[in-house]
Amino acid sequence: MIRAGDRSSEEQMSQFLEWATHGVRRGRLELDSRPVIMLYVVVAALALVAAIYLGLVGRTAAQGRRIEQLQMEVFRLQRENEQLAVEIADVGSIPRLMERATALGFVPAEQVEFLPDSD
Amino acid sequence: MAEGPRRRLILLITLLGVCVFFTVVQLFKVQVVEHEFYAKWAEEQRVRAVRMDQPPRGVIRDRDGHLLAGNGVRYAVEAAPVYVMDKQRAAEALASVLHMPASHLEAKLSQRDEEGNYLQWVRIVSSVSKEVGERVADLDLRGVTIKPLWKRAYPEDELASHALGFSTVVTGYYGVEGFYDAMLQPEPIEWVGPVDVESVPIPWEPIEGEFPRRGVNLELTLDRTVQALVEAELARALATYEAEAGTIIVMEPHTFGILGMASLPAYNPENYSRFADRDPLVFEDPAVSRQYEPGSVFKILTVAAALDSGTVTPNSVYHDEGWIEVGGQAIRNAMHKVYGDQTVSDILIESLNVGAAWLSTSMGRDVFYQYVQDFGFGEPTHVDLAGEVAGQLWLPEDIEHWHPANLGTNAFGQGVAVTPLQMVTSVATVANDGARMRPHVVGRRIASDGTVSVYHPVLEKHVISPETAQTVTEMMVRVVEEGPEQARVEGYRVAGKTGTAQIPIPGGYDPDGTIATFVGFGPVPDPELVVLVKLDRPQSSEWASNTAAPTFARLTGQLFTVLGIPPSGGASVAEVGP
Repeated sequence: MIRAGDRSSEEQMSQFLEWATHGVRRGRLELDSRPVIMLYVVVAALALVAAIYLGLVGRTAAQGRRIEQLQMEVFRLQRENEQLAVEIADVGSIPRLMERATALGFVPAEQVEFLPDSD
Repeated sequence: MAEGPRRRLILLITLLGVCVFFTVVQLFKVQVVEHEFYAKWAEEQRVRAVRMDQPPRGVIRDRDGHLLAGNGVRYAVEAAPVYVMDKQRAAEALASVLHMPASHLEAKLSQRDEEGNYLQWVRIVSSVSKEVGERVADLDLRGVTIKPLWKRAYPEDELASHALGFSTVVTGYYGVEGFYDAMLQPEPIEWVGPVDVESVPIPWEPIEGEFPRRGVNLELTLDRTVQALVEAELARALATYEAEAGTIIVMEPHTFGILGMASLPAYNPENYSRFADRDPLVFEDPAVSRQYEPGSVFKILTVAAALDSGTVTPNSVYHDEGWIEVGGQAIRNAMHKVYGDQTVSDILIESLNVGAAWLSTSMGRDVFYQYVQDFGFGEPTHVDLAGEVAGQLWLPEDIEHWHPANLGTNAFGQGVAVTPLQMVTSVATVANDGARMRPHVVGRRIASDGTVSVYHPVLEKHVISPETAQTVTEMMVRVVEEGPEQARVEGYRVAGKTGTAQIPIPGGYDPDGTIATFVGFGPVPDPELVVLVKLDRPQSSEWASNTAAPTFARLTGQLFTVLGIPPSGGASVAEVGP
């Protein structure tokens, strides 16, 4: 413990504090403000560029996703279209037409007569 | 500053500086010096070539736009067991839609790899209908997906099956599907870019490049209605005359476009696998892939060659003694009949073997075989159908196979093998004023970008003069008008010729069967159709005049009506009678 009036102890403390803090306090860094400002500007510019880049990448990715979805939709519609074309052709195919015509009572034409053209 | 702190500060800064220096050096090394290595490494991990959804195969339509081969949609049902949490519930839900045992499905959804982990992918069903696939999708089961598949569809069932061929998921075989397979195939497009662990593209950037293109659409010269009539008449002929098989070809003589072409037995191209074990193989188109001895229809060409070469005139006379010796072999007429003095026209009208042999020997082998080759025999017609064969024509140069007697027998269609298409093409040459064109079945090609390529008929050769062609045509008209009445088409002048050919077997000819052929065209003088009817081994009668000829007449009469071809004589308005 350090007691008041203990001269040697105060000196020792002083020496200790000087050892511990003096170097820093005394070695005050006297920096020129311009490079610091420049550094801030560069960092800010880089941050801005990064933000813009990030924004662009985000937008591009969103567009890419949208295009991909549209392509999927095109494929889906293409499939629907092809399937419908087949179904329409099936309904109008000769075997189906024959079945339908027969069911409706039609019969094949047995005799066809050609009449002379009046012209 | 005291010396101690200053030293420590310098030491700290130095240490930090060294660390920063080494970090910068390392960064420089990684990002600049070894940039390519690391870039490639990263790309290998992240970037994959992904095959985009397959566009459809090109469709096939008839000349009026009726769909003959299209693309139906089916689905494969797949699952990633690792992501299916409640496997029992998923299996029960799937079972109700797929009509499969839930236990079986649960077993599939519980499959593990060798290390005991659930599999990343299993196929539950390889192909289900569009409706079932969509119902599976509606279940919205996590880890269960549907994958669209194309399935070739033939809405007209068996119609034109031989001409169309068939297509598997990947490749087309036989007929148009086989011949134009490369063109019908969709253009596969691979997209290269960043993908996730399941190889699904990450839309990091817009997918560049062209959109996958579908295959080229084909529009045939075939007419669906003509084809249906041809098939119906062929089926009727086979049933009526108890024939084993048959082929009918209908061709336009001015373009050599094929309007209808059918052979029986046929098959349903949509279910081709059910016919794979048939013997003989039912997929081969007999019209282009099988050859036969044509018999007397070949006399048309012999007569045409003799007239065109100036060897004889229509009125030239020879004395028919019932036989003639050629190359040491006696050639006789059918039924060993003797006809006495006969004109060249009579050779066709009476179908005289002796007269035909007299013509070929009079021409000499060089002239005769030159004409035979000019008519297209001995080589493929180069029709746009898969699997065409060349037939078999031995020439005098081939001393191993050709015998001097061939000059006589070839003249009436023996000892020479042709395909039905070669035969109808050669007769169409006569109908087309002596100009032989290349037969074809595709009239237009429509690319995915809408570009249309129209087929332009290809002239192969002017074989005979138009005058000779007219003369032979008139002779063929007389064959129909003075010969068997079964071939006549009421109201129309048609030209034609029968052929009853023996069937070669090892060591001779089969005594138990014939091939009956009738080939003709009309209406004369401006023919619009050439029709060949070929019936294999008809049992009701061995003669073509009783089988193939009436089939020709019935079919041709219907075709004239359906195609609106007025009768010879000026009538032009059709009316359906009672």
